[in-house]
Amino acid sequence: MNIIISLIIGAIVSVMILFNGTLLRISGNFTSSIIIHIVGLFSIILVLLISKSKFKINKGIPLYLYSAGAVGVFTVVLTSISFAKLGVTLTLAIGLLGQSLISILIDHFGLFNTKIIKFNRKKCIGLLIIAFGIFIMTIW
Amino acid sequence: MLLVYLLISVLAGVTVVFGRIINSNLAEKIGTFQGTVINYIVGLSFSFLFLWISNETITISYASMKTIPIWAYFGGIVGVMIILLSNYVTPKISLFYSTLFMFIGQLFLGIMIDYFVVHNMSIGKLIGGLLVLIGLTYNLSIDKKQEA
Repeated sequence: MNIIISLIIGAIVSVMILFNGTLLRISGNFTSSIIIHIVGLFSIILVLLISKSKFKINKGIPLYLYSAGAVGVFTVVLTSISFAKLGVTLTLAIGLLGQSLISILIDHFGLFNTKIIKFNRKKCIGLLIIAFGIFIMTIW
Repeated sequence: MLLVYLLISVLAGVTVVFGRIINSNLAEKIGTFQGTVINYIVGLSFSFLFLWISNETITISYASMKTIPIWAYFGGIVGVMIILLSNYVTPKISLFYSTLFMFIGQLFLGIMIDYFVVHNMSIGKLIGGLLVLIGLTYNLSIDKKQEA
């Protein structure tokens, strides 16, 4: 079930890229990012109002937990720097490599309070097949 | 110099995963809708900050706004859906699997969009994507054996 939800998230990401990519045709990176965030902010506030959720900020939440929005903007910056020099395909392939490696590291050590999922050496075979698949996508 | 740019694209990938975990951790503390509001407020502030630091100027004319379809402005709504779903699934399965299955979903819908909208079929993406899926299925089968 969780796998299916992950697949759906990925599919929605494709739709988002199509939308945001079209917006980028008429505006710069950060202007687009501002428009995207304003639209997103309005829609989530609407969800919050409709669901009548209470908004309450407890003290003692570590500061880094508030940083995801900033991290997202850094993703935009890093991706656009890389796009300009390496092109779209290579940026995405190497980016996916970065995502996979950091995911394995975080899983293995249970960083950020996640569940520890130790890396099993037998999985190297699967990893090689995955890496080969990404390689094929990049060169073809 | 090339190495620097390769490193930058690796970091771009790393920030994607960081953002996803931080959002889901915040959601557990203050609620998923509330956490998403914070995410967008902080993201919006940083977008303004970067706009100010960079030499990008806001030059959207009304004429150019009409040249793109109206749905192009709704990426933010789609983004909210992604964060809410991701907050649900991220604590439940290994990050590695969620990362790669999201990639598969993205890739195959991307291939379909290319095919139906741009009328272009990328065989390389299809074969590469199938290989990623095979590798993942193999690793999942190792997990199943371990649990058994």
